[in-house]
Amino acid sequence: MIKTIELSPGIELRCCRDSRFKQGCLSFQIVRPMLADENAMNALVPSILLRGTRRYGDLRAITGRLDELYGAAVSTIVRRVGDYQTTGLYCSFMDDRFALPGDAVLEPMLAFLTELLLDSPLEDGGFLPAFVESEKKNLIATIESELNDKRAYAMGKLLRTMCREDAFGLPRLGETAQVAAIDPVQLYTHYRKILRESQIQIFYVGSAEDRTVAELLQPLLQRLERSFVPLAPQTPFRPCQGVDTVETMEVSQGKLCMGFTSPITNRMKEFPAMQVLNTIFGSGMTSKLFLNIREKMSLCYSIGSGYYGTKGIVTVSAGIDFDKEEVTREAVLRQLQACQEGDISEEELTAARQAILSSLRAVHDSPSGIEGYYATAALSGMGLAPAEYMAAVEAVTKAQVVAAANSLRLHTTYFLKGGSQ
Amino acid sequence: MNKIHYPELDETCYREVLENGLTVAVVKKSGFTKKLAYFVTDYGAIHTEFTLEGKQYQAPAGVAHYLEHKLFDMPEGRDVSAEFASLGAMTNAFTSYDMTAYYFSCTENFRDCLKLLLEFVSTPYFTEESVEKERGIIDQEIGMNQDAPDSVIFENLMVSLYENHPIRVPILGDSETIRQITPEVLHTCHRAFYTPGNMLLCVIGDVDPEEVAALARQVLGSEQKAVGIKAPLREEPMTCPRKEVTRVMEVAMPMFNLAFKCEPLGQGEEAIRQEMIADLAAETLFGESSELYLRLYEEGLIDSSFGGGFETIDGCAMLMCSGDSDDPAAVRDAILAQMDTIRTEGIDEAAFQRMKRSALGRRIRSLDSFDATVFRVCAYHFSGFDYFRFPEVYRDIQKEEIVAFLDRIVTEERCSLSVIAPISKEEVS
Repeated sequence: MIKTIELSPGIELRCCRDSRFKQGCLSFQIVRPMLADENAMNALVPSILLRGTRRYGDLRAITGRLDELYGAAVSTIVRRVGDYQTTGLYCSFMDDRFALPGDAVLEPMLAFLTELLLDSPLEDGGFLPAFVESEKKNLIATIESELNDKRAYAMGKLLRTMCREDAFGLPRLGETAQVAAIDPVQLYTHYRKILRESQIQIFYVGSAEDRTVAELLQPLLQRLERSFVPLAPQTPFRPCQGVDTVETMEVSQGKLCMGFTSPITNRMKEFPAMQVLNTIFGSGMTSKLFLNIREKMSLCYSIGSGYYGTKGIVTVSAGIDFDKEEVTREAVLRQLQACQEGDISEEELTAARQAILSSLRAVHDSPSGIEGYYATAALSGMGLAPAEYMAAVEAVTKAQVVAAANSLRLHTTYFLKGGSQ
Repeated sequence: MNKIHYPELDETCYREVLENGLTVAVVKKSGFTKKLAYFVTDYGAIHTEFTLEGKQYQAPAGVAHYLEHKLFDMPEGRDVSAEFASLGAMTNAFTSYDMTAYYFSCTENFRDCLKLLLEFVSTPYFTEESVEKERGIIDQEIGMNQDAPDSVIFENLMVSLYENHPIRVPILGDSETIRQITPEVLHTCHRAFYTPGNMLLCVIGDVDPEEVAALARQVLGSEQKAVGIKAPLREEPMTCPRKEVTRVMEVAMPMFNLAFKCEPLGQGEEAIRQEMIADLAAETLFGESSELYLRLYEEGLIDSSFGGGFETIDGCAMLMCSGDSDDPAAVRDAILAQMDTIRTEGIDEAAFQRMKRSALGRRIRSLDSFDATVFRVCAYHFSGFDYFRFPEVYRDIQKEEIVAFLDRIVTEERCSLSVIAPISKEEVS
């Protein structure tokens, strides 16, 4: 159901034609390797593009245009997909059939996107300094506000420590100091370069035909001067020495994060088994972690695990009392050990497979679900088509799940607890 | 069932009130795989005082939420979550100030999932031991909220905005009040508010509406039961006990919640019209294409975290905005100053029409989200209104109504500001 058209070397359009929705969406992503000397610039660029174009010179004009397009929205995309960072814009807009008679949305929307991407107002060969300074301040605020969500903050700390030898350990939006150092000319030069050299992925979901979308994108494509440099493929976790860190902060609840590594990535045939293992171990209200550590031991409200398939990392995070670190850590390891020893019931196995299949089926029920899943899957190097993938999940055996569990090694832990710094 | 098609939105909704008093609403979505069902009671955290069968009750704060956790327990050691999981479905629940919702989503086995949902929510089963065990879990949830600036800032705002309304009390209660919750308390609240006449079953997806109604009849029976009578809320003045409240926490930069107190809406058609006027008024005053938003954004006083709208909860309502800012008081002052401009200059007709078209477009787009749609259908149902009629109401609203609303609401007396300030580095070292 997804059609892929190569518009020019390195530029792919993926289309999912679907008339059930009231809105369409289109994402335009420039795909970069995640690198310390450019991730902050990549994170900043899309916010500058949304500040104004030569025709729509300021935010007022931009939002006025979006209002005319029946409340369409354009937002920034800055995603991490394994070793890559993507940067670009995401448009969501009402389907043409709800517009006033004779009016259309998709065509003017794409024309407007082209302007946003290519017609930024310039000064002395750079973006407008006022836009750059103001968006730098906003980006820094966003980076620093990770601290506000203690769970996300703790998880970020764990991954950074664990992946300090790896691109995966770099913060998605860059570091505050790097953002602060960006200047408008350097940023514009960089933007021209990544537009010229990078892989570009355009993803459309909506009622229009793929050929129509491709045609509507021609004016944009004709204006790109390209010399495409292909990306290196995704790589597995790069080993380093594990570290156990404790940090104190003025909080009332502790956050324990544990990071495990495995050689199994989403590029391997064992991937579905690892996904099933992660679900049995720590995903959702029927997982071993939830049922034992929350329901039986009443140690926490929130606990769960996550599997980063691009790298082969499984993480566990729990919100607990400060004096429960040891007992929680042991309980988590005991539940993993149970999986490793094959203490997995037929019900657990079936439920885990069903949960993964259900969420895969439901992907197709919203434009953002389709875009989010397929655009990322394509970049993450996952070789399986959805139908094959679902068949593989269904075929996962207990022995394969146990083998996946036995491939996990505890690497790094991080504990955030209360007290003055 | 009563079928209504809304051609303008390309939606079809089936409704029926069963003999037992339960309202069933089915939003038919042909061609979709996912099915989502909400079983909702018109009972939330604020409804701690009530009368049932002539007897008055005063339940501890946090009881609605505690009950939500404990309803997942079933006799004979049955595990509801595991049963849903074996059907390939995902289940969860939430408690808000004025309603409690239990839901599942599935792609297969819809019939069995729906039966299970109706069964577990209508089966109160609480043991001393399990109620005791839950206390530790909820205590951790309370602890998590105390570290979550978004919760703290809103709860502080409610205390400084309201004199009497029970929205002053956090949904979860606190460690002390939850200690008073026993199986008996939970049973009483369940008996009072989990009767079909106080509830709504709303399903969205490609399902057979008649089958949904039939299953509800089968599981819940036809008997009409007494519903608890909520104690009337005490009169609330349109001034605020405090103008400003600040808390210091581990955050990166100052955050704020700002609200203007509004009269509660009441019920039915006129109430919904008022809500949509208020909604457009919020857009006019500080929405993303408003004069004020653009100016403050360009000045760097607010950033993209800024947002706002009209909030309505049983017995109270407010025009609210929130975000990060180095100077929250300056944001408040700018809003009040902008209001003076609107009072003298009014609003531009062309801009108003553009904004209406945009707001309508966004609402239409939001119908693609099953979760957002079902939530709105439920909330509007308890206010006595059919959500899918929003386009006609929107169209009819005039800009004079917006100005009149803002003129009345956006004043210093009705305004309160809640701030979370970061711990200053000097204090720490």
